[in-house]
Amino acid sequence: MSNEHAHPTPASYWKIAVVLAVLTAIEVALYYIDRELELGSLNALILILLALAKFVIVVGWYMHLKYEKRIANSFFVAGFLLAIGLYGVVLASLGVLVIRGG
Amino acid sequence: MTDLIHEPEAGHHEEHEGTGIENRKLGMWVFLSSEFLFFGALISNYLLYSSRGGFEGTYPAEIYDIPFTSVSSFVLLMSSLTMVLAHNALTRHDQDGARTWLFATAALGSIFLAGQVFEFTEFVVEKGMTLSTNPAASAFYVLTGFHGAHVAIGVVMLLSLWGISRREGSLSEKHGMNLELVGLYWHFVDIIWIVIFTVVYLLSAAPA
Repeated sequence: MSNEHAHPTPASYWKIAVVLAVLTAIEVALYYIDRELELGSLNALILILLALAKFVIVVGWYMHLKYEKRIANSFFVAGFLLAIGLYGVVLASLGVLVIRGG
Repeated sequence: MTDLIHEPEAGHHEEHEGTGIENRKLGMWVFLSSEFLFFGALISNYLLYSSRGGFEGTYPAEIYDIPFTSVSSFVLLMSSLTMVLAHNALTRHDQDGARTWLFATAALGSIFLAGQVFEFTEFVVEKGMTLSTNPAASAFYVLTGFHGAHVAIGVVMLLSLWGISRREGSLSEKHGMNLELVGLYWHFVDIIWIVIFTVVYLLSAAPA
């Protein structure tokens, strides 16, 4: 079996880091914007989407899951979805339904 | 993200049983998968108690220093960059580069930890919020404390690899795989912080 994998170059890793830094800056800016404008659930939705984007970028490109064998993908994604599902149900059943924005 | 290079993976063994992936690496993926449940429990615990009113004492969300934590988050995020550059350098058989980036990753991890110690000290000494102030404070310290413990373990592993590399002059094939495993662990610690930073710091508010 070949050990050849197609991985990003160092230049690509730096570009990805810039994207991650920009996303973080937007998150922090949103936190302050929400304090002024009280965007509420819209703010929460955008912040969660931004965090999800950062999460996927790090897992896909830095952890190379994008280039990894299917079995590794399956285990990792299954653990993530199981945790989201399990604790989502637990929190919903305990009445923690809304994460307030700001 | 389209700039791709094809490179032989340093440290890749053929120790697998039909899975197409090295056993230790698959074990690490399974371990990290289980860690989602561990941190999921701690984050849920925090969300549960931080949303409940009626506790006496300070709630964590009342005293967060968002600018400070934002800088800490940025430092940890950039440590993922240095980690992947260390791995990339090793795959290109650039031993000096790998050693340098390994050390940089450990240094950034240490800065993050120092920030957490500073934050905890501020909260306890200046703001009077201790582990036993109320359940919300307990949940906050347990969650962020366990994450910090994971970072500390990561720093020890990084420095161990760096020390081995310095002593032996290079990282062998076996240690190459170790670097990859430590890298996976380190990135995982980073993605957990991405979630904590958003859910616990940016979205959390003390009950009215």
